[in-house]
Amino acid sequence: MAIFNSQPITIITNQSCMKKQFLLMGSLLLSTAMAYGAAFQLNLQGVRQLAQGGTGTAVPWDASTIFYNPGGLSALKNVNAYGSVQFLSANTRYAETPAGSYTADSKAKTYTPFNFYVGGPVRYKSKLSLGLGVYTPFGTGIKWDDNWRGRYVIQDIQLQSIFFQPTVSYRFNDVISVGAGFVIATGNVKIQKAIPLQSNGQDGMAELKGNAMGYGYNIGVHLRANDNIQFGISYRSGVKMKVKNGAATFTVPSALASNFPYTSFKSDINLPQVVSVGIGVKVTERLGLQADANFVGWSSYDSLIFDYEKNTSALLDTRSPRRYKNTVILRVGGNYAIGNKWTAMLGAAYDQSPVRDGYLSPDLPDNNHIMATGGFVFKPNKKLAIMGVLEYVFTPVREGSLDEAQFSGRYQTKIFNPGIGLNYEF
Amino acid sequence: MAFVASCKPNIEPEKPSKGDGADFSSYVAVGNSLTAGYADGSLYRSGQENSYPAILAEQFKTVGGGIFRQPLLPGEYGYPSAKLVLGMHQGLCDSAASLSPIPYTGALDTVGSSTNIFNSSGPFNNMGIPGIRCIDFVIPGYGFLNPYAKRMFVSPTGSRPVDEVMVAKPTFFTLWIGSNDVLGYATSGGEQAPATLGGTNKISDVDQFNAAYDSVLSNLRRSGAQGVLLNIPDVTSIPFSTTIPAKGLTLTKNDANLLNNAYNALGGFIRFNEGANYFIIEDSTVPTKFRHIKDGEYILLSTPQDSIKCKGWGTKKPIPGRYVLTADEVAKIKTATAAFNNIIYLMARRENLAMVDMNAYLKTLQTGIIFNGASFNASFVSGGAFSLDGVHLTQRGYALVANQIIMAINNKYKATIPMVDVNKYKGIQFP
Repeated sequence: MAIFNSQPITIITNQSCMKKQFLLMGSLLLSTAMAYGAAFQLNLQGVRQLAQGGTGTAVPWDASTIFYNPGGLSALKNVNAYGSVQFLSANTRYAETPAGSYTADSKAKTYTPFNFYVGGPVRYKSKLSLGLGVYTPFGTGIKWDDNWRGRYVIQDIQLQSIFFQPTVSYRFNDVISVGAGFVIATGNVKIQKAIPLQSNGQDGMAELKGNAMGYGYNIGVHLRANDNIQFGISYRSGVKMKVKNGAATFTVPSALASNFPYTSFKSDINLPQVVSVGIGVKVTERLGLQADANFVGWSSYDSLIFDYEKNTSALLDTRSPRRYKNTVILRVGGNYAIGNKWTAMLGAAYDQSPVRDGYLSPDLPDNNHIMATGGFVFKPNKKLAIMGVLEYVFTPVREGSLDEAQFSGRYQTKIFNPGIGLNYEF
Repeated sequence: MAFVASCKPNIEPEKPSKGDGADFSSYVAVGNSLTAGYADGSLYRSGQENSYPAILAEQFKTVGGGIFRQPLLPGEYGYPSAKLVLGMHQGLCDSAASLSPIPYTGALDTVGSSTNIFNSSGPFNNMGIPGIRCIDFVIPGYGFLNPYAKRMFVSPTGSRPVDEVMVAKPTFFTLWIGSNDVLGYATSGGEQAPATLGGTNKISDVDQFNAAYDSVLSNLRRSGAQGVLLNIPDVTSIPFSTTIPAKGLTLTKNDANLLNNAYNALGGFIRFNEGANYFIIEDSTVPTKFRHIKDGEYILLSTPQDSIKCKGWGTKKPIPGRYVLTADEVAKIKTATAAFNNIIYLMARRENLAMVDMNAYLKTLQTGIIFNGASFNASFVSGGAFSLDGVHLTQRGYALVANQIIMAINNKYKATIPMVDVNKYKGIQFP
């Protein structure tokens, strides 16, 4: 090879492929990564409705009909003001499959979905009614131990929404009334998960936070066939919640920090449209029964996309398939008046999970819900109603996997959800 | 209180079962460096503690597994030489430091590791001996030749490894041998490999391999032990071979012209273009003794990068043959690997034992696998499965191997031994 030593060739410096070979990190953020959670529709928008299995499309009990059926608002005789709050605690356990000893329990936390409504006829016996609802129809949260087995899928997710719904309702006659509300939706999301990039045995971490906005509407028709039978039908539109300027923060080993810049992100979540039909029957002077069906258009939630403003070879935009399926919720409930001041309520519901097999994620390990509810109304006088409700949700054990993360196991969730409310009729 | 209790989920995982026919009370792992827990170019204590046999033994405890003794080193430095860690390194001709494997500079805490520890902490269940070939198992006095064997054998000066693996009286075994019967040849550049004592840089003779493998397996089976055989991976699919691309030489137009001018006198079989080029390698089988490398040939990770950057290796001078696997050498490696794996396959069938096809599994790893949200592939450093030497695995990589073995056992014996949480173990550590 001697001839080469004598050749006057300049030193070749452009060999960047060699220098960077260890830094070709690929996309380390799995698309599986971030998920807003699943069947996060809360269905807790009124105490009386919840206590009767969530029925409420046909019977306008009070101002909370602004949510359940805006058409029912003009069936109210007087202006109502309503406020309620739930104290929801959900406990989920994960158990490894097919065998072993590992279990993980979600961290105990109490969520407080709330509702305020005010509305009624613009003046006594007017056919036109106006109202405003402020309520929290969607939300979810689950926090696992930071070091649990699913930490690269999710450690903590919190999703909240508050909808504002100014509403107008018109009563054509004693039988039919209609209503419509415009929905201004606000929300916020926080997601935290570990990243499998380690320094001294410590994982990296990703945290995404953002505020969301969206718009929609809520319309309904209320029919009073006679003194004993009522019907309702309502349509709540889908709402596209847009996160326009979320903040993504990555904590990674310092040698890799330039691959994971602090960046803003965009994301959309398509909340489902819901069609509800209901019937309410007054069986006796004291006993009323209702049944509702909700058709929930969860197929709107097809995939979850995160669009990072700053992309690097290790931080690419992600698109995670969710492929929710449309679901039906069936509800029955009844109420029984005990004397003049007390009413007892009972109900039950069956709520299908929109989560398909292969998409079962620990960020909301959903399953079909079977709900049992009960409650009371105490009316110390004609104007004031004090309401209490207790919901207990059974979810059968579900075994499955989140295929894209290759994370599988068995989940069981139990939800205990008491609530109180007041309605004042002016 | 009963009501409150009913608000808490109460599911429990299924109880593990050992199934039918296997007794895990004395598990012995027979193998080489992969079994010892070797990683990052050396053997060190935390690597041993998280070797795949140690991981397996932990899972076996759920189905009646007994104590699992390993010939643990006293420290983390690496024995005999320092392990590699990731650090910022500026080569002679680099304008800036970049992330590279560099020798560990922590405390030299493995002094005295050459002392035999059989009497103080044996007999050992982890009989992984770094460097051992299949054909070495029948060599009497092998402990003389191998410092790792010397420190753990009951009789290092006289015994054969095939006898040593029986000292712990295995009721269950894993047998993963044979990689070194081709690896030494591959990692030292094939035909140009320097000669070594015992010819460890040669591909083992197939008949010798067959006889030695039979001897080891028959010994292990003599008292009825059950076990799992693992075949050997194709070493041309590991980062040691695949990290430096054959067409990894990027040139400016000016540099390409300068090189072409210098080589023109030779008749034009060397040509450079602006952009990506094939490196120049030594090849003693062609008349000119050098040529461009071709696709399907490999530049080994052991190639000194400073020599490429400063001394014109691959451009002005060919990359020496001991850092290169040519197509002929690759063919020999693949032929030998297939022959050895065929032997292992036939032995597994003869003995009616489960076999883990590690060769196929590592090919799956090349396309990428995901475990509990963490992705792994066969890329160097970023892939997460291979350690910094490009041959051996990270702790997470070894845990993936353990899961393959558990799946094979569960399948064979209708057992339900729990899978390992791979992410409990360490992956590549970044500064």
